[in-house]
Order: sequence, then structure tokens, then C-alpha cells
Amino acid sequence: MRTVRDARIALRRARARETLRSGYRWFDERTGAADLLHKGLYEAVPRRGGWAYTLGSATLALILLQLFSGIFLLLDYVPSVEEAWPSLNYLETQDPFGSWVRGLHLWGAYTLILVIGLHALRTFLSASYKRPRELNWVTGSLLFFLVLGLAITGAMLPWDQASYWTTVVVTNILHYFPFIGDGLRQLWRGGSFVGPITLTRTFAIHIWVLPFLLFTFIGAHLYLLRRHGEFGAWVNYDTTSDDPDKEIAHRIRTVEPPYPTKRIERRYAAPNQTDQFFPNQIFKDMLVSVALIALIFVMGRAAGAPLDPAADPATLTYVPTPEWFYLPLDQFLVLTPGNPLIAVGIFAIVGIGALAFMLLPFLDRSTERRPIRRPEILIPALFVVFAVVFLAMLGVNRLYSL
Amino acid sequence: MVLGTGVGAGLVGVLLSIPALGFLLSPLFIKNREYWVTVGPIDSIPVDTPTPLYAFVPSEQGWPTPSQPRVVYIVKQADGQTLALSNICTHMQCDVHWDQALTQFLCPCHGGLYDILGNNIGGPPPQPLSQWVHRITYKAGTGEHILEIQNKLEENI
Repeated sequence: MRTVRDARIALRRARARETLRSGYRWFDERTGAADLLHKGLYEAVPRRGGWAYTLGSATLALILLQLFSGIFLLLDYVPSVEEAWPSLNYLETQDPFGSWVRGLHLWGAYTLILVIGLHALRTFLSASYKRPRELNWVTGSLLFFLVLGLAITGAMLPWDQASYWTTVVVTNILHYFPFIGDGLRQLWRGGSFVGPITLTRTFAIHIWVLPFLLFTFIGAHLYLLRRHGEFGAWVNYDTTSDDPDKEIAHRIRTVEPPYPTKRIERRYAAPNQTDQFFPNQIFKDMLVSVALIALIFVMGRAAGAPLDPAADPATLTYVPTPEWFYLPLDQFLVLTPGNPLIAVGIFAIVGIGALAFMLLPFLDRSTERRPIRRPEILIPALFVVFAVVFLAMLGVNRLYSL
Repeated sequence: MVLGTGVGAGLVGVLLSIPALGFLLSPLFIKNREYWVTVGPIDSIPVDTPTPLYAFVPSEQGWPTPSQPRVVYIVKQADGQTLALSNICTHMQCDVHWDQALTQFLCPCHGGLYDILGNNIGGPPPQPLSQWVHRITYKAGTGEHILEIQNKLEENI
């Protein structure tokens, strides 16, 4: 009896498996899904330093989390000067999960800015942006600027006091642009003062314009990454034998795709040891992303996102403070008084700094990879970092009178 | 054929960009709406003491929205001159407030300072506080001086 029943069960299972398999074959014949998945997952990556190389995927995971939490905020938020604050106040106080979702979006943004900064720092230190990966850096720096743009336009939407005064100051900065400044401010504000059109325009920029550009450049960034392979860092190209040439030649001969990298110095064409992206690297990527998202879930619940009283253009007591990531730039405004200096400070110095950051691969022309052997790049970079930290400290001191 | 496709694509691009650019640039062409708003009598305001009055001012832009409160600092001088200063900082347009102890207008954003007449005395602001476009009318019936302002500043800041 028992064996007959077992045989029946086994037969049923075999049939179910066969149905699934034929369904899979049908789908794969029509879409090439397996091939695509294989291409996406089976790539060699440098083995040493794999944890440092999780920052890019963590950035992507956090951007997707922002998309996700942002869509949920749209279920309640109304982009109108009359209803933005009441709709968020409803979301915070009445909607049982509203404050958590808003907390996710805020703490997700904070974490994203930190992680994308760390990702840029890692790439800078390892000089991964050198030929042929210059455009990886250029698209990455554009992504960094887009994230900062999203952060500031997002801060302008709640139409509480903090958001209103952020809007006033940020849109007013444009007014100092030489010659066409007044026109630029007028275009963003939709009039002379901040008003109803300012909010709808900022909303459109935050919800469509910047995300559209962001995902376009993410596509380009990932395409370029897969085209040239992950560079890693100098540690991935050390040689151990007495005959480095022979060792490098052996590496180039035996390495798996996407290596050897083309149009690069021979010794950097293939890492000394590689790992499989799937499942080894992606497991590390997953752990870091999950840890960050878990942190954001906790912070979003525990700390949430503040909502000031509704915007009041006639306040005599409110002290506006910038978001922490714009504190250095805000301090810069304090230090550049008078009309010509404001334009020089904001547009010339910050603009040239941003341009230099974006064009770093074309400024750092040496073939050296270790930071210590690139002092002509490392020293100016350290100077900029110290200047930014110093400005932030001055700003904290000014705003909180420490 | 290649040329034709290029021309066609270019034509679509041009046609699409006419309304798109027009829409984008429309705030440059649409005239700001101007309103006169009554602030109130200013007779009881003491000399040499900037006093904030509030006016609900309609927006100069967009569709009808509720009027927003704005501050007018009335500065009466000993010689009989009266200023209707806006409290909009000329640096980044934050709201300044009069500090009676320091006898200065202070800006909380970047530390701009102005004297009682709105002249710059410190911090980054590039020009003096602007007055609202205003007029003061004498009402013979009650013997009051009534201040009215426009939703517009006298200077471009």
C-alpha cells in the first residue's frame, strides 16, 4: 500500500516539475531571460577588497528605496501651497504608517548622501577612474549632483517653515548669477516672490525631471561598469612572483570576462584574483544593503521626519537652518559679502570646484594608482575636504553657538 | 532617405520645443499682478521705534490662492518722514526683525545687520532694506493716516 502511494506522489511531483520546466522553456525561448540573467550575474570581479566594492550597489539599493518610499508619499501629498502642509500633517498624525514612510524617505536620503559620498571617496582613493574608465567617473559625478539636487528640491516640498525658507534662499541664490540672474530666479519662482508656481515647479523637478535624468545616468553608469569591469584598487594588481611580466601575461591569458580590460596599462588589465559576482560578491552587496535599509527602517520609525509649523512669510522669530549636507555651502554665503563677492563665491568657486570634481579623470593624468604616489591630486583633494569640514564646523558654531 | 529622416526628426524636435520652451519660460512673459492692500492707521506708532504691522497680500503669480501675511516695519523719524520697510533681507530674502536692545535689524539666516533706516551695517547683505511700494492717505473724517502697500518692493533685491 505504502509503496503504491509513494510512487503516485513521486509521479505527481515529476509531472509538476515537468510542467514548470516546460513553462520556463516556453518563456526563455521567447525572451532569452536565462541568457540575460547569466550575462548579468556571471562576471568576474576582483576578490580582495570586495566589501569596499559594495558601496555602488548600496547606492543603487538606496536610490530604489527612495523611489519606493517617494511613490508612497505621493499617495497623500498634494503639491499646492494651500494643501502641501495640511496633507503632510494628515499623513504624520492620522495615517498610521504615514510618519514611518516619511521617515524612510528622509533617513533614506540622508543615508544615500553619505553612501554615495563614500562610494566616490573609494573610487577616488583607488583611482579607478583612469583610462578607460573616465566616463564611469563623469556619469558617477553627475549622479552625485543629481542626488544633491533631489535632496534640496525634496526639502522644499513640505511647505512648513523649514521648507519655505529653504525655498526662499535656494531660489534667491540664482538671482546673483551674472546678467541673467533675475530671469533665472523668476523662472524657478514663477514670479518675483516664492508662491504657488514655485511649489509646482519644484515638485515637477523633484518628481520627474531629476529622477528621469538620474535613472538615465544610472543606466549609462552600469553599462560602463560592465563594459570595463570593476577596477578594484591597486591591491588587486600586486604581483608576487619573481617574474611579474610572466605573471601578468598569465593573468591576462586566463582571466574570465569582462577582463582583460582594454586600453589600459598592461599590469592593470586583469586583477590578480577574481571572484564570481554571483553568488560571492552579490552576497556581500546584499548584506550591506540590507543592513543599511534596516537602519533606515529603524531611524524612520524612531526619529521620523520633522514637520515644522506651516510656512509663514511674516515670521519675526523663526530661525531657518539649512539641511546638514548644505551647511558648508550655507556658511560660504556668510563668508562672501557684497554683490560681486556673492557671485564669485557661489558660482565661480563652487562651480569650478564642481567642474574639477567632474573632470577629475582628465586632471589626474599619471599612471599611478596609490593615493600616496599621486600627491598632485591628493593634496588639493585633502585641502578641499578640510575646507568643507571647516566650513561645516563654522556653520555649526554659528547656528548653534557652541 | 537618411537626410529626410534627420530633417523629420529635427522638425518634430523644433515643433515640440516651441510649446515646451514657451511653457518653461512663461514666467518671464506673464506680468505680475499688482494689488493695493490696506495695512491700517499708523498714527499711534512712536517715533524712532520700528513697529511691525501685518498685511495680507495676494500673490503676484499664478491662480487665486489665499493672501499671505507680510510684515511692514513702520519707521517714523523725528523729522516727520515715515518709512514702510519690508523685512525681506536683501541677501537671501529671509525675514529680518528689529531688535530694540541692539537698535538693529537682524537677519537670522546669515547674520545681516541694518540700522533703523534699513542701511547696511554688517554681514553679507549687498544693499539696504527695500520699502514696499506704498502710499499714506489722510482721512479727514477720523483724522487718521492710513498706510496702503502694494505686493511689490520699491527696489529690485
